[in-house]
Amino acid sequence: MADNALYILLCSGEREKIQMAAMMAAVAAVSERPVQVFVSMNAILAFDRSVPAATRYYGGTFAKLLHDQKAPDPMVLFQQGKDLGDLKMWACSMALDIQGWEMSHLDETLFDGPLGLTKFLSDAESGQFVTL
Amino acid sequence: MSEKVIVDARGAFCPGPLMELIATLKNVAVGDEVDVWSTDKGSVTDIPEWCKKVKHECVGVVEQQGYWSVLVRKAK
Repeated sequence: MADNALYILLCSGEREKIQMAAMMAAVAAVSERPVQVFVSMNAILAFDRSVPAATRYYGGTFAKLLHDQKAPDPMVLFQQGKDLGDLKMWACSMALDIQGWEMSHLDETLFDGPLGLTKFLSDAESGQFVTL
Repeated sequence: MSEKVIVDARGAFCPGPLMELIATLKNVAVGDEVDVWSTDKGSVTDIPEWCKKVKHECVGVVEQQGYWSVLVRKAK
């Protein structure tokens, strides 16, 4: 992986943080930076394919503003990053195990597969690391 | 002969106008221009910076009535 790669560890289920992760991932990916996003903890609940977009997120003042003003949904931004750039998304294998989920619980067009934290951290040694 | 395509991204929030520009650039020829109309203030700096980074040409930024016109020429 290139040394300008961006690694995002997304743990929060708050709309504000998922929105920022999606914005960073999409913009970096289309700016010719390889991006990898590792989704774990409460964040993975937002990617449950059975949950409608309207009830997918929780959060504070900005979560409401983003919803009311129809800011782009984070899932759309992640997908744009994948379509237009080098963006890979990984589901934390521990979070899947804890939830008792298979990859089929998630939007499979977004995710590249399950991954362990050790592998993600190892890959991230060569790039920039952001936690949300 | 080069062509100009207008991307009306007025009302879209960051990074919407940039993403619409990039999607459009994929479908035009080298030398063609894309004129992005945006009400997002960030586009005024973000689109020229993106062009500089990925080696497209930002021809200019013009403030219109209530929006900005950011003209980009596909360079590669």
